[in-house]
Amino acid sequence: MRELTFREAVVEALDIAMQRDPKIFLLGEDIGYYGGLFQATQGLMQKYGEDRVMDSPISESAILGAGIGSAIVGMHPIVEIMNVDFMPVCMDQLVNQAAKMRYMFGGQMKIPLVIRTTCGAGRGGAAHHAQAIHAVFMHFPGIKIVVPATPYDVKGLLFTAIEDENPVLFIEDKMMYNVKGEVPEGYYTVPFGQAVIRQKGKDVTIVATLRMVHKALTVAEEMEKEGIAIEVVDPRTLCPLDKDTIINSFKKTGKLVIVDEGNRVGNFGSEIASIIAEEAVEYIQAPILKVTAPHVPVPYSPVLEKEFYIPNEERIKKAVYRVLEFS
Amino acid sequence: MAVEVVLPALGLTVEKGTILKWLKREGDIVTKGESLFEVETEKVTTEVESPASGILKKILIPEGIEVPILTVVAVITKQGESLPDKYDMMGIQKPQKKEEPVQIHIQEASFSMSSGPGEIKALPAARWLAKEEGVSLSLIKGSGPGRSILLKDVKSFLAKEAQRGPKILITPTARKLADKKGIPFTSIQGTGISGRVVKADVLEAEARFKLAETRPVPTSVKPSGLSKYKLGQIVPMSSIRKVIAKRMAQSKFTAPHVYFFNDVNMEKLLALREDVVTDLEEKEGIRISINDFFIKAVALSLKEYPILNSMVSGEEIRILPEINVGLAVAMENGLIVPAIPKADQLGLVEIARYRSDLVERAREARLTIEETERGTFTISSLAQFDITFFTAILNPPQSGILTVGKVEERPVVRGGQVMIQRMVRQGLSVDHRIIDGAVAAQFLQSLKKKLENPYSSFFSIC
Amino acid sequence: MKVAKELLLEMLKKMLEIRYFEEKVVDQYARGAVPGLAHLYIGEEAVAVGACMNLTDEDYITSTHRGHGHCIAKGGELKPMMAELFGKKTGYCKGKGGSMHIAAFDKGILGAMGIVGSGGPIAVGAALGIKKQNLDRVVICFFGDGASNEGATHEAMNFASLHKVPIIFVCENNLYGISVAQHRHQAIKDIAVRAAGYNMPGVIVDGMDVLAVYEEVKEAVKRAKSGKGPTLVECKTYRFRGHHEGDPNMGLRYRTKEEIADWRRRCPIETFKQKLIKQMVAKKKEIDEIEEDVKRRVEEAFVYAMESPFPDPEETLEDLFA
Repeated sequence: MRELTFREAVVEALDIAMQRDPKIFLLGEDIGYYGGLFQATQGLMQKYGEDRVMDSPISESAILGAGIGSAIVGMHPIVEIMNVDFMPVCMDQLVNQAAKMRYMFGGQMKIPLVIRTTCGAGRGGAAHHAQAIHAVFMHFPGIKIVVPATPYDVKGLLFTAIEDENPVLFIEDKMMYNVKGEVPEGYYTVPFGQAVIRQKGKDVTIVATLRMVHKALTVAEEMEKEGIAIEVVDPRTLCPLDKDTIINSFKKTGKLVIVDEGNRVGNFGSEIASIIAEEAVEYIQAPILKVTAPHVPVPYSPVLEKEFYIPNEERIKKAVYRVLEFS
Repeated sequence: MAVEVVLPALGLTVEKGTILKWLKREGDIVTKGESLFEVETEKVTTEVESPASGILKKILIPEGIEVPILTVVAVITKQGESLPDKYDMMGIQKPQKKEEPVQIHIQEASFSMSSGPGEIKALPAARWLAKEEGVSLSLIKGSGPGRSILLKDVKSFLAKEAQRGPKILITPTARKLADKKGIPFTSIQGTGISGRVVKADVLEAEARFKLAETRPVPTSVKPSGLSKYKLGQIVPMSSIRKVIAKRMAQSKFTAPHVYFFNDVNMEKLLALREDVVTDLEEKEGIRISINDFFIKAVALSLKEYPILNSMVSGEEIRILPEINVGLAVAMENGLIVPAIPKADQLGLVEIARYRSDLVERAREARLTIEETERGTFTISSLAQFDITFFTAILNPPQSGILTVGKVEERPVVRGGQVMIQRMVRQGLSVDHRIIDGAVAAQFLQSLKKKLENPYSSFFSIC
Repeated sequence: MKVAKELLLEMLKKMLEIRYFEEKVVDQYARGAVPGLAHLYIGEEAVAVGACMNLTDEDYITSTHRGHGHCIAKGGELKPMMAELFGKKTGYCKGKGGSMHIAAFDKGILGAMGIVGSGGPIAVGAALGIKKQNLDRVVICFFGDGASNEGATHEAMNFASLHKVPIIFVCENNLYGISVAQHRHQAIKDIAVRAAGYNMPGVIVDGMDVLAVYEEVKEAVKRAKSGKGPTLVECKTYRFRGHHEGDPNMGLRYRTKEEIADWRRRCPIETFKQKLIKQMVAKKKEIDEIEEDVKRRVEEAFVYAMESPFPDPEETLEDLFA
């Protein structure tokens, strides 16, 4: 099968979707002529015109609102918030309006809106262009959240997001845009709420998101040589969350490490740990560890960002060794 | 002209040194040759003298810093001279604290199971399994970090327990109590879930024992025929009596009793005893009795029919691992049944010694609980009374009890001839829940055979 | 008057509906029967009615926390509206929204919002969607002087003007953002001047005159439909009661009795009634009949609401996702 980069998979998905459905239009900052800051909408404006690929003023609330309003009246907008760091600027539109309008109006309307955004540190983006705050949005009922980790998944999940008639927050890890993987041609969907076990193992379960999935796999491969079998679970969507796969994997191993690039407090891992403590407590053989960014904003200096802030293989290994002390 | 003060070369092999102490402060007047600072190297501590006179204008290297030799450590200027700019930039800031190598202060690898002294640290999976199996965590040694109890610790404990014998279900509280009181709980019948031994069971076992712990009975074998009760008297039950009453009733009404009898020709056995009793008494210092033969014969028969050496536990039949034959001893206030342990493996003389000692101490109320609780089968003899045969209630939690009546001369028919033979009628009560008629019959038959053919049965003893 | 009689009477009827509906809420609220908050439109009826008279069921509006007026003017029915206020299952939002979040999608009411200023971007979005689908419709975004200071409002106006979407921004300047008078919360007196900042026309209109509002918005609708983009219509109006029910003494903490009395003398309904009679468009009897009918229907709606059941507790979990 041919290989595409993560970025190419996104472009292809948008292209195919726009071809199939004339109601889809894109709106975001620099997505048109520039092709998107990360080139994820490259060539689309040239192909579909300014009317369908709209460069937006720097107005996140207007972008979100435009998406919400036009979705309600029959369009299928895919808006982009350039970095998830900017989401707080239009937080009201996202969590108070988009997430709640269907519910508080008693189900009268559907909001088939996709909000694409990027996350991730590693490029010196510093405090305002490198965060991974996806877990925050889990707290608001009414938003679906997608965290793809492979080119195959990003394309299939994006199609699913577009088909979904609810607001979907689609998070692309900017550090993965160049990652290559097998991507089938044409149209296919990857279901929401279905985690995937990237690697099977019986000793320790690692649940990882976005780029961290690959770090976990690297660690799993290395530790395999030491005779340690790690099971790596990729949830793929945070909402809906595939609790069953995670819990069943955990029951096998009794030892859990969660790797997520968010800050420490209120990390995605916190929610997983809570779920395990509630629904699988009798299987807990060791403390549940989270490997996360420290609880500080993203620092600028590469030494700080890369060696301390971003969860790395060493820290994941350390956590694995730690839980294995209890076996 | 500013003069540099350097860390001088301190020896052929010394490459660096640490300034221990500045003996002069910035701004002080110094004279050439005066000691300026102390330096420490791996070899030695030295004082370094000032190379010039003037003002110690700036100290560039503070105390505590290790620098290579020939490093400029201070600058001396003349009175009124200003410090050349370049020295402003030189020098190392005294570090606030020694930075640890990027030690992850991120808590992910830290695990502090903080708990108070005496608190048991156990991982949830370990706790769960222990609870399921009715094992007290206080019995398990933790091998995890901070001496925490891991799942594998509980598993290995359970495996060891299983090796020791059939799985004993006992609640942690009961176990603690039983250990404390020295009661072997393996023989206590459990009334808890799935036949678990619970605290009440332990207390009753103790009570049963205590019941006999009254005034010692006078050494005469026959207890006095005179009753201590009077007509019209109302005797409140002591708590011990209540317990026994309850247990007796429970035994009778829980286990459907069924009774079998046969008559045993005691001629050969009595003759054998006649033969050896005096010699053995001389040699071994113990007088063997007919009861000893019965004990041994029963033990051997139980070996053949282990179902009679068992107890019911919930929905399980537990064939007990040892054959401990108890002998019922009449006491003032009731019956006590010390048991001869592993009677199938003991020689007749050993059995006699045990029997003698246990009965003596029983009458003196000096038995241990263990001695009364370990029994797996009971022999009750009323041979000294004028009782031909009688039925007995099972001694809970046992499944069988043998009654022995009086040995007496009776006319029997053998080969068409009437003969006078010394006979005894023995009775067997069994728990019909688990012991069927055929087995009981076979047991009794086998027992009779042994008693009637003592030479071949007991050939392996002594 | 250039406007047809039916239309005029319809305007009167709608204003009366709003007035009687709101008065009913006042009464019920005082009796402690309304769970939650109520922000009443009494005094501002001319704005909602004048504006919405230009719209059909297919056009859209976004509303504010003070949304009863907009919803009734746009065609929201009294019964499901009343039921929603009382949290009943038969309410427009199945009891999930309440006073501040009334919506009637089939009537083009995209919803009252509890967040001040949040309606703007959504209204602009709806207008964008209309434009893209080449539908002959418009969106009216109602917002107040308070909302005119929210960032989202500015983003919305800029975006709307940039893309010339078919929207009319109707600003109800009732001179107060809760308790803070306009001169204390913005440097300008006429919000309409901000329109220039977005290169769109801004007009000022007497918000107590339903016909004036009607005419002005009519122009704006025409403009919008012809693809010329948005207009900002500032209606000078006044709410007779406090910010919300519970604001003591009709807002006397921050307003004067005289000011309130002045504005009350200009009541949009009374003045309109007078006008109709004076200009011999309708007789007093006709007007009275209309009023009686409205009274009765509001009462019916109230009874309907009272008799309607509450939603089942399990419904709490419904309608999150499609």
